[in-house]
Amino acid sequence: MTQPEQKIGIKEYIAIFTMMIGTKIADDTPTFFYNTLYNAAWMAPIINFLAVMIPIYLYIKVMSYYKGQNLADIVILLMGKFFGYAVLLLLWIILSVAIILDTSIYTDIIATTYFPTTAYFFILAILLGVCAYLAKKGLEQIGSVAWSLFLYTEVALFIALGLCIGQGKFTFLFPLFGPGEWDVIKGSVTKGSVYADFIYVLLIAPAVKSFGDFKKGTWISMIIIVVSATMALASYVLLFDYPSVQMMKYPFHESIRFVELVFLRNIETLIFPFWLTAVFVRFSVYLYFSAMLFGKLFRIKDFEYIIPSIATLTIFLGMMLPSPIDSLEHPREFILFVSTPFLFFMPIILFILAKWKGAKNNAVQKEQSK
Amino acid sequence: MQFKRNSPSKLVLLIMLFLGITCILAAYGDRQAIEKKAYVVAMGIDPAKEKNAVEITYLIANPEYGSQQQGGSTDEPPVEIISFEANDLSTARNLANTVVAKEISYDLLRAILVSEDLAKDSRFVRWMYDGVKDPNIRRDIRFIVTNEPVVDFFEKNKPRLEVRPHKYYELLLKRGEETATIPKGYLNQYYRITEAGGDLFLGIYSSTERKNKPPKPGQPENNIIAGDFSYTGKTNSVIFAGSAVFKNGVMIDKLTAEETRLATSINNTMKAADILTTMPDPLNKRYNVSLRIRSNKNTHVKMDLHKAIPEIHITVPMLIDVLSTHSMINYATSTSNQKKLKEGLEKYLEKKYDNLVKKTQKQYKAEPFGWSLEARKKFLTIPAYEAYNWPKKYPDMKVHVNVEITFGGFGRQSRIPKVKEMR
Repeated sequence: MTQPEQKIGIKEYIAIFTMMIGTKIADDTPTFFYNTLYNAAWMAPIINFLAVMIPIYLYIKVMSYYKGQNLADIVILLMGKFFGYAVLLLLWIILSVAIILDTSIYTDIIATTYFPTTAYFFILAILLGVCAYLAKKGLEQIGSVAWSLFLYTEVALFIALGLCIGQGKFTFLFPLFGPGEWDVIKGSVTKGSVYADFIYVLLIAPAVKSFGDFKKGTWISMIIIVVSATMALASYVLLFDYPSVQMMKYPFHESIRFVELVFLRNIETLIFPFWLTAVFVRFSVYLYFSAMLFGKLFRIKDFEYIIPSIATLTIFLGMMLPSPIDSLEHPREFILFVSTPFLFFMPIILFILAKWKGAKNNAVQKEQSK
Repeated sequence: MQFKRNSPSKLVLLIMLFLGITCILAAYGDRQAIEKKAYVVAMGIDPAKEKNAVEITYLIANPEYGSQQQGGSTDEPPVEIISFEANDLSTARNLANTVVAKEISYDLLRAILVSEDLAKDSRFVRWMYDGVKDPNIRRDIRFIVTNEPVVDFFEKNKPRLEVRPHKYYELLLKRGEETATIPKGYLNQYYRITEAGGDLFLGIYSSTERKNKPPKPGQPENNIIAGDFSYTGKTNSVIFAGSAVFKNGVMIDKLTAEETRLATSINNTMKAADILTTMPDPLNKRYNVSLRIRSNKNTHVKMDLHKAIPEIHITVPMLIDVLSTHSMINYATSTSNQKKLKEGLEKYLEKKYDNLVKKTQKQYKAEPFGWSLEARKKFLTIPAYEAYNWPKKYPDMKVHVNVEITFGGFGRQSRIPKVKEMR
């Protein structure tokens, strides 16, 4: 029995990538930006993007030396068994903690804004149940689900943001530079780790049909994310002005409850399902990556079968968090802080190591030995 | 390695189906049924005897009423009013259930009404911020201040043409906003302006008390506030006119309908669509001219903030249709008369604006015109803007209001006979 190679096309890749990072604009991440950047937060995604362009470019460069291998293989190959293993373990721990925290936050969003009387446990369990089911089906299925929903979610998102911008006031964006020009740049760059999920996307790089598709897909999805994030961060300010938006927990949900679509008042019921499907895709991908790393670490070949266990564990650990709302802010900042070096410094180290080890020869040898 | 893709047995499928259904049913904790809910359409807040409580009044709509065009839908009345003391807006729902049989829901809440006494209380902001905590209180509901206790207001409010309460509030407030006799008064604005600090928020002002004093002769009819408007006939006793002025979340004063119109017409964040009004005829002071004002363009604000005495230059473009001229002066075909009319009206309006601006500077020491937002454009950073301290500087600023009138039309038939020729 040979395992059928799971391959996804560029469309599926873009859909997975965008839904994984793009949904962040609709949770509590924007508040994060507003806290230090005030009304200039909309510039952050652009400045951020310029800052993470180099690491992303380096990552892609390194990946191009070892085509057909994913990040985990390359890390072990370049850093050696011990260090490579340590780095991967750390990445896996960060991802697992991120899944636990994020699912709790999303459950909180669903519970506080849409289902105030439903038990917290049920929402969390159903959320992870659906995601585990999808993740267990494998990357191909996740990809096709993501792609089939991608256009709908993007259209729903842009309708929501368009309405916000249409009903907002542009004067709220002034003073243009918020807390000050340098503070904006500093604040944006230090928050670059919101793109840290990109590291995990590299795990599926070889699964994309061709390396060119992977490269192109990465940049296209980054641009989609940057555009939608800029629009989102601006539109919340346009609706509420910055002092109010700083106090909000989930500005996206607050704004879709506020705007009207011509004569329809409660349009959040229209947008919510699309948001929810994007969330399902997001956590399916997370679970898949988590299982993949776990499989790599402990040499489990059919890692898909541990996804249900990871999901179950996540539910119980998520239930153990003391209070979903107030206690979560600090760990979240901590996660973003910890993942920063992986985004900014690891590609540099990998690149240098790859050069030093005579990457190209190595790759050629590999090719021949196959 | 993958397992062989056997077709799963029927038993497995059945188990999965049941599990799936259980999951769906579990998330059914928030199921809602229309006839099992009591929809609060408007909520009143009054001061209570006890210090830390408020008197909550619910106007509960009957969703069955008027749902069918022809009779037979229900014999139950369209609304139910209940009033009681509660600590806050959220827990009040359960207290009400001791009397009302159905579950209280804020889903269709359209307006929050507050009596003037409570709105002027410095503790008022505390109750208003219950609104951001409760997931069911939305930011797009209206904020109304009533002259008398809200309980009395609800009892006296008997609309005749539109009995369904949710439609009544929606239509009345929408129309009032279009004619600019009341401000927009969204709850979101209240929060935004209170949180930004320094500016004035205009809430909708309303009353059922009728003083019925006749308007002073020669005074245009717009200079009223709810309660002043004199009218007779078989109609509702509730009037919405004028606005309640809030500074830092607490009410400090009220504006007349005319002042509200002036204030909204130069505020770019709230623009009126359809204003009908009268002004004294500049060529014959004994008569008035009736006008329709359409401010279709944005007010132009020019600021010179770094002078010793900062200056603001406001240009208000107005498109005016002349509806009737009782002086019977021919304005339609005479350009020289039009010029005089234009100058006269501009002067008249500029004086009105000046008076209002002076009032805000001297009496309120803050402005409801949204100029602080325009001032923000002049600064590059928030610290620079905060260092400038706009709220402190505003009372001493020099404000020039310049009205620019363009005439749209002079009525369906522009020519009228000369009065002297008529016998």
